Amino acid sequence: MKNHFFLIKNLTKTRQRILKAYFWEKRLFWAKVIVIAFLFILWARMFYLQVIKYSYYYKKAKERSVVTYVIKAPRGQIITSDGVIVATNRAVFQLYVDAQVIKGREEEILYKLSRLLNESLGTLKERYYLAKRRSFGRILLKKDLKWDEVAKIMVRLYYLPGVIVEVESQRYYPYKKAYFHLIGYVSRITKEEYNKLKNEGYSMEDFIGRRGIERVFEKYLKGKNGIIEIERDAYGRLGKIVRRINPIPGKDLILTIDHSLQMKAFSLLKNKRGAIVALSPVDGSILAMVSSPSVDPQKFIEGFTRREWRRIVRGKSKPLVNRALTCYPPGSTYKVITALAGLTSGVIKGVNQVFYCQGYFKYKSRIFRCWKVTGHGWVNLIKALAVSCDVYFYNVATQLDIDYLAKISREFGLGEKALRWVEEDKGLVPDRAWKKKKFKQIWYPGETIITSIGQGYLLVTPLQIARVYMAIANGGYLYKPYVVKAVMDLKGKRIEFKPVLERKIDINPRYLKWIRKGLREVVVSGTGKEAFVPGLLVAGKTGTAQVVSSRSEKAKFLEHHAWFVSYAGKDKPEIVTAIFIEHGGHGGTAAAPLAKELYKFYFGITDEESE
Amino acid sequence: MVFFRKNLGDFFKENLLGFGALFILIFLGNLNQWIMSETSGIFLKNLLWHLIGLTIFIFITFFTDYRKIPFKMIWYAYLFLIFVLFVMCLFKKRWLHLGPISIQPSEFLKPILLLLISSLIASEPDYSLNTKLLLKIFVIIAVPLMLILPTDLDYAFIMGVMFFSFLLFIGIPRKILIILSILGVIFCLIVVPVGWKRLKPHQRGRIYGYLHPEKYAKTWGYQLNQALIAIGYGGIYGHGFKKGWSTRLNYLPAKHTDLAFAVWAETWGLIGVSLFLVIYGYLLLFGIQISSTAKDWMGKYLSLGITLVFLWQLIFNVGGCSGLLPMTSIPLPFLSYGGSITISSYFLLSLLFNIGLKRYFFK
Repeated sequence: MKNHFFLIKNLTKTRQRILKAYFWEKRLFWAKVIVIAFLFILWARMFYLQVIKYSYYYKKAKERSVVTYVIKAPRGQIITSDGVIVATNRAVFQLYVDAQVIKGREEEILYKLSRLLNESLGTLKERYYLAKRRSFGRILLKKDLKWDEVAKIMVRLYYLPGVIVEVESQRYYPYKKAYFHLIGYVSRITKEEYNKLKNEGYSMEDFIGRRGIERVFEKYLKGKNGIIEIERDAYGRLGKIVRRINPIPGKDLILTIDHSLQMKAFSLLKNKRGAIVALSPVDGSILAMVSSPSVDPQKFIEGFTRREWRRIVRGKSKPLVNRALTCYPPGSTYKVITALAGLTSGVIKGVNQVFYCQGYFKYKSRIFRCWKVTGHGWVNLIKALAVSCDVYFYNVATQLDIDYLAKISREFGLGEKALRWVEEDKGLVPDRAWKKKKFKQIWYPGETIITSIGQGYLLVTPLQIARVYMAIANGGYLYKPYVVKAVMDLKGKRIEFKPVLERKIDINPRYLKWIRKGLREVVVSGTGKEAFVPGLLVAGKTGTAQVVSSRSEKAKFLEHHAWFVSYAGKDKPEIVTAIFIEHGGHGGTAAAPLAKELYKFYFGITDEESE
Repeated sequence: MVFFRKNLGDFFKENLLGFGALFILIFLGNLNQWIMSETSGIFLKNLLWHLIGLTIFIFITFFTDYRKIPFKMIWYAYLFLIFVLFVMCLFKKRWLHLGPISIQPSEFLKPILLLLISSLIASEPDYSLNTKLLLKIFVIIAVPLMLILPTDLDYAFIMGVMFFSFLLFIGIPRKILIILSILGVIFCLIVVPVGWKRLKPHQRGRIYGYLHPEKYAKTWGYQLNQALIAIGYGGIYGHGFKKGWSTRLNYLPAKHTDLAFAVWAETWGLIGVSLFLVIYGYLLLFGIQISSTAKDWMGKYLSLGITLVFLWQLIFNVGGCSGLLPMTSIPLPFLSYGGSITISSYFLLSLLFNIGLKRYFFK
C-alpha cells in the first residue's frame, strides 16, 4: 500500500514537472517570436526613416544645419562707343543684422549701433522693425557705410553678435542725370518678381533693371549669383564652408552712343523740357538720346527722401518720362510725308506745280488758316517746304486719301515702336478703320486736311520722326534704330549686333531729290535759318505743333511744341537729329538753334572758323 | 580543478557566440561614445564605467554561483533599496549624488526584483502561479514602483511593463488574467482622463511632441524632431565617423544618453542600425536559449527575465527616438552613457552568463 501511494504521489509530481517544462518551452518559443517580431518592427521603422524618407530628412537636415548666403554677381558695365563707362559697379559697405541671432537682444544691439553710427535709437529701431516685416533673414540696417563707421563696427564686432558688415558691389552711374532715360536704373527685386524669377537664379536681395537698357538687356547684364554654404550649429555659430560656387559676372554692353554728343545734347536741354535724338543714317545706330528734365538714377539705389519722390511723381515736369520715346503731334515736320504721298499718288504732278496761298484755305464751309496770315503767294513744293506753307499742303490733302497717307506714314515707321522698349509709345497714325474703331464715326475730309500738316490725331515720337528723316537722308533705307553695338564678357569675347534693315522704301529718286532740296532750302532761306552752319550741309524741317489742351479755356495758354528735325554732313548726311522742345514755342526759334549748336559740336566747327 | 577547466572549455564552446555578441556590443557602445567625444567629454568616463562593469561581470560570471545567492541577502538588498527609494521619494529626487558620481537607484531595482521574483517562485511546482503567490509578487513589484512614480514616471511605467510581461511568461492563471485585463481597462478609462490633467506640462508635452513632432519642433517635439532628422539623414550608408551634422553641430539633445541610438543611426546609416539590431537580437535569443537549457527553475526564470529587461529597454529607447512610441528618458544598454545603467546591465548579463556556465556544475 505504502509503496503504491508513493508511486502515485511521485507520478503526480512527475506529471506536474513534465507539464511545467513543456509549457515553459512553449512560452520560450513565443518569447523568441516576440523578440524577432519587435526587432523586425524597429528595423522596418528605421528602413522607413532612412531609406524611404531619406530625401525628406536630408532636406530638413540641410535646412537646419547649413546657412546659404548668396554671393551677388557684379552687374555688367555699360560703355559708350568712345570707351566711356557710363554704368559700373563700386564696392560699398552695407550694415546687416541677422534677426534670428539678435532675437531677444534687439534693444541692446541697436543701442550699441546707434551710438557707433551717431544715429538716434528711434530711427534705427524704426528702420529695423519696418525692414523685418518685409524680409526674412538678414536685415539691411544701413547702406553705404563710411570708412570710419566700418572701422568702428569691425573693431567691436565681437560685442555685436548678429551684426554683419558686408562688402557689396553696387550699381554706380558716374554721369548721373545725362543717361537716366537711356540706361534706366536698377532697384531691388519685389516679392512678386522674385516669386516669378527665382528659378532663373534671382535671389531675394538682387537688383533688377528697370527701364531703358538696364531693363531690356537684363539677361546680359545680370550675371549668375554664386552660393556659399556654411555649417551652423545648434547655437547659431557658423562653422566650416560646405560648398562654394563663385559668381559669374554679367556681360558688358558697348553702346552706339557717342558720349561727348550725349553730354552736349544734355547740356543743350538744360532747364528745358524736351528731347534730342541723334541717329546715324548709315546704319540706324543711336548716337545720342536725351530727355529733359531728368533724375539721378543713383537715387533709386540710395533711396529718395519722401519729399523728393513726391516732387518727381506729382510734379508737372514729369522727369521720369522719356520724352524721346513719348508721342506728340509732329506739326510741320510731318509735311515731308504728305509731300511724298502727294508725289507718289500723283496729286503733286511736278516740282513746278503751284498753289496760291492767300493766308487761308477754304474747304466747303470751313476755313483752314496758314500760319502766315498774310499768305505766301504762289508756292511750289520746294518753297512750300522751305516756308512751311500750310495752304499748299491743304490743297494736296483735299485730293489725298487718308488711308493712303496712313500707308505711306506706316511705311516710314510711324505708328510702331522703333526700339520696342516697354516705356516707348507706339504713336498714332489715324485712318478710317482707326476712327471707326475708336469713335465709331466716319472719317471727314477736313480731318485729312489737318492731318496733312501734322496736326489732328497724329502722334509721333521724336525717335520715329528722326527715323523718317534718316530714310530721306540715306535714300529710303529704314534701319531699326539700335543702341547696343556689342556684348562683351570678361574674357573679351564679343557678340556683335548687326544693324537691322527693316525695309527699303522704294522712293523715286527724283521725288527724293526735290524733297531734299526743299529741306535744304528750309535751312538756307526758310523757317530754319537759325540752324544754318557755314561749311556744313544741314537740311531739315521745323515744326510748331499746336497743343490743344482739353481744358483750354481755363488752363493758361499753352505754348506750342517746337520741333526741328534735320540731317547734316560735310558732303553726305552723317547724322540725323530730332530736337523736340515741349511747349518751346516756334520750331525755328526754339529748336533750330540747338541743332546748330549740336552740329557745330559734332563736326568740330568753331565760331572763329565760321566768321 | 581539472574538472573545472574541462567544463569551462565546454562552456566557452557553447557560449562563444554569446560572448562574441556581447563584446561586439560593448565595442560598438564605446565607439558610439567616441563619435560624440569631441563635443562631450564623456568618452573616458564611459570607458571607466565599462571597465568597472567588466570587472564585476568577470567576477560574477566565473567566480560565483547564482544558485548559492542567499535568499535573505536578496531580501535585505530589496528592503534597503525600498528604504533608499522612500527617502528619495520624500526629497523628490531621482538621482543620488555621492561625491563625484551620481547614482540612479531605480536602475538597481531591475536585477534585485528579478532575483527576488525568480527565487520566490523557483520552488513552485505548478506551471502557473497560485493566487496567493501572485498577490505577494504584485505587492513586491508595486511598492518600489509606487515610490519611483512621482519622480520618474517613465521608468515606473516601463518597469511595470517589464515585470508584467515577465509574470505573463511565468504564468498567470487564465481566470486572473481575464479579471486583471478587465480591471486594467476600467482603470485606464478612469485614470487616463483624470491623470491627463494631473500630468506635469513637460510630461503632457512629450505626448504632444510624440503626436506632432514637426508642429512642436521648437518646443515639445524638439528632441523627437531632431532625432528623426538625425536618423533619416543617416540614410543607408550613414555619414561616417564624426561626420554627421546632428552629432557634430550639437543639434541632438541628450545625445550621449537617450538619443545615443540616433547618433549611431546618423553615423552608420541603415547598415549600422541593422548590424546593431542583429547582434542585439542575437544576444536576446541567446538569453532565451540559456533559459531553455538551464538546469533549474530559478535559472530559467532569471535568464528569461533578463532577456525581457533588455528587450523592453531596446523597444522603448529605439521606439522612442524613431517616433514609434512616446519619448522616454530610458537609456539604451551599450550605446548610451550612464553609470548606473552600465553597472546594472553588466550585473544582469553576468547573471545570464553565470546561468549558462553553471549548467555544467552540480550543486
